Amino acid sequence: MTAGPPAVFQGEWNVSTFTRYIIRRLISAGVMVYIVMTVNFFIIHAAPGDPVTIMAGIEQPSKEIIEALKKKYGLDKPLIYQYLKYMSNIIRGDLGYSYVYDQPSWTLISERILPTLVLTLSGSILAFVIGVYLAIFVSHLRLKFGETIASVISYILYATPSFWLALIMILVFSSKLKWFPTSGMFDLRHTYVGFRRFLDFLHHMVLPVTTLMLIQMPVFYRVTRASIVQNQNEEYVVTLTAIGVPKEKLFKKYIIKNAILPSITIFGITLGFSITGAALIEIVFAWPGMGRLMLDAIFRRDYQLLLGIYFLMALFISIAMIITDIVIALLDPRIRLT
Amino acid sequence: MKKLLVFVLLLVFAFAFAGEPKKGGTLVIAYWGDPISFNPDAKIDDAGSGIYGCIFSRLVALDTDYNVIPDLAESWEVSEDGLTYTFHLRKGVKWHDGHPLTSADVVWTFKQIMSHKEAPANRHFRDVESVEAPDDYTVVIKLKKPYAPFLGFLAWYGTYIMPKHLYDITENGSPVDWLNNPHNQNPVGTGPFKFVEWVKGDHVTLEKNPDYFLGEPYLDRIVFKIIPDENTALQAFLNGEVDYDGNVSRAQIDTLKRVPGVVVYLKPGPSRYYMGFNVNRRESPFHDKKVRFAVAHALNREEIFKKAIKYGQVAEGFYTPAIPWAYNPNAKIPEYNPELAEKLLDEAGYPRKEDGYRFEVTLVYFQGQEWRDMSTIIKEQLDKVGIKVKLEEYEIAAYIEKVLKAGDFDLTVLDGFQGPDPDNLKIRVGTGGDVNVMGYSSKEVDDLLEKAGSISDKEKRRELYFKIQEILAEDLPIYPIAEVMYTYVHRDYVKGLPYQMAGVVAYNNYAKTWLDK
Repeated sequence: MTAGPPAVFQGEWNVSTFTRYIIRRLISAGVMVYIVMTVNFFIIHAAPGDPVTIMAGIEQPSKEIIEALKKKYGLDKPLIYQYLKYMSNIIRGDLGYSYVYDQPSWTLISERILPTLVLTLSGSILAFVIGVYLAIFVSHLRLKFGETIASVISYILYATPSFWLALIMILVFSSKLKWFPTSGMFDLRHTYVGFRRFLDFLHHMVLPVTTLMLIQMPVFYRVTRASIVQNQNEEYVVTLTAIGVPKEKLFKKYIIKNAILPSITIFGITLGFSITGAALIEIVFAWPGMGRLMLDAIFRRDYQLLLGIYFLMALFISIAMIITDIVIALLDPRIRLT
Repeated sequence: MKKLLVFVLLLVFAFAFAGEPKKGGTLVIAYWGDPISFNPDAKIDDAGSGIYGCIFSRLVALDTDYNVIPDLAESWEVSEDGLTYTFHLRKGVKWHDGHPLTSADVVWTFKQIMSHKEAPANRHFRDVESVEAPDDYTVVIKLKKPYAPFLGFLAWYGTYIMPKHLYDITENGSPVDWLNNPHNQNPVGTGPFKFVEWVKGDHVTLEKNPDYFLGEPYLDRIVFKIIPDENTALQAFLNGEVDYDGNVSRAQIDTLKRVPGVVVYLKPGPSRYYMGFNVNRRESPFHDKKVRFAVAHALNREEIFKKAIKYGQVAEGFYTPAIPWAYNPNAKIPEYNPELAEKLLDEAGYPRKEDGYRFEVTLVYFQGQEWRDMSTIIKEQLDKVGIKVKLEEYEIAAYIEKVLKAGDFDLTVLDGFQGPDPDNLKIRVGTGGDVNVMGYSSKEVDDLLEKAGSISDKEKRRELYFKIQEILAEDLPIYPIAEVMYTYVHRDYVKGLPYQMAGVVAYNNYAKTWLDK
């Protein structure tokens, strides 16, 4: 059967199939998270070194310190015992304990969630909107010249390392033009309060968010653009053109609607990853996000903090995928939630 | 009337402080990393140790020249036999919450250090027999056997006095471990600055403690702005967002020196770069002393220094010259002489084979430009005398596993803090020492180290450490390359920084710092 114009909703799924669908997806997500945690647990422990030895460093390490700390944190116990203990804690809603900071993983993670999401969500949403809009705009104009420019720029941005772009942004907009501060979330020479503090925060946000947007935008642009081109050659377009549907209406009503679907899928996954932050950009802009916390935890082998972050990441991505699938199904009646 | 009084007071102050340090202002420091917590004694915490000195005080402290100076103790005596240390505390010192500081806080702190094996200062308290407080302002420490470097270590890492009234608490009837105390996030000390806030990953803010026992600090506030990236720190510094760049990389020094209004101060520190031979492993060619000497003659450390290290100075001996009393200038490193190197290698039974090489060894180092550069140059230099060097780079955790734990290497380059007392040579060259990666073991050196650590006569100690350096020059378990340079980069209006106030304030204490603007 060829895909006809998806004009009329012919679906017959009702509330009960929908509920069943959600439950099934949640169960499979739960299994997925469990597998991810198990694999991660053993991979992390297989990496050379352990948190205690790294903490002791190479300047003045001492065997006594290392042994005492290993005992304190139970790192001297068999790995399988540590695994079972950790998993049972997770089930009880305890994300673990950071050996480095001596605090519950959740305390450390929760402090980072807001700055992280502010950065990544704004960056991703802007990248999605601008990338998709740019693709539609370029396709609509049907100007060879404009398309070439947009493609070249998107290729260049796609190949640009984020930390390098971040540094260039600082050099141009902070050091040269003096428009924005280099780093951090607040101006530390002043202690602003209330709305002024919020404005200060926004001022500090511009460069990191723009950098993230520029890095993520090419994907949305390219996928949407390719999808539009592909749709323009579909049979239904030929048919609709033949029966006299105006080009303008055809493009706006049918092509865009179909072409945007792959980008929405990618956007969903991007949102899922947003909880993990953007480590390299966070480092350059000294933004206190999850990416830096995670990278630090990796270098210091802070096992349970790292696993806590991975847990949240797996959870977020699973949920984002479910939501994406539902959104896609709502937008495209050809897809059934079964 | 009131206005007049204020005016008169201002006038008096204006006269009194003409040309004197100015009060007020906020000092913003670009800082490289987040502390682990604000418990200054519980764990090794290099990022925290740069901030603790502002909030807490010790009994005695080290200044930037590694002299022991008074801190909470205004004076002290050591008994003839070197076993009893008596400290006299300053009177009227208050914790930031207004509670008075007494000898009970000192005794409690030291007992905590002694009962926590993981505390970094624990090992320096190993020979402590008792810590007692005969009255509120006297602390007596008795040692089991004389331990000369005790005072130096007491002034060094993880020995800040902590508030007993906030830490000696119980929860549900059992004592709360000092690692889990809520004040680790909200510290209370006796230092020149009070804790205000810590936004993790972003900044630590401190404000002045007007009741500080060494006089009210000049600055109103200090902010440690955490910038993990060196390039961002440089831009933030150049743009005036920070006054002091505490995250400078070697590569930036030349650029910074050319910027007007910027002070770049370099000072040799008691840390050094050196190469270690795996002398312990029998399969390693470096088990043979002759081969070690051949390598030393084949290496040109002048060149390694110029190309890879650039700042500091080329090493000449076997201890750091930054601690001059213990440095023996006559125990010299073998000089560059490739012909002699070739001759020694032939004699040691390693003639050149058909491919031109005598043998192959691995040089293991950890990530970082300086280590990579150093290792590459060493490889090139040894290549010329027919030693093929394979380079292996590891991140720090893997390096510790491979070198420190498994001893699986032939050569390695490393650095390390040599102070505050030459007694620390025990962990570097003593048998079984924690960073003796070479696996070096000499009965004579061990005996001398033990003896030098147990007598308090500095002259006699010096002789023993001189002898140790002579033995090291003969045995050559290490090949010292260069002395590490400490760098201080700040705006010229920042005055009275700890490094400029040697003998007066402790390292990382900004009590006398002021802004001339």
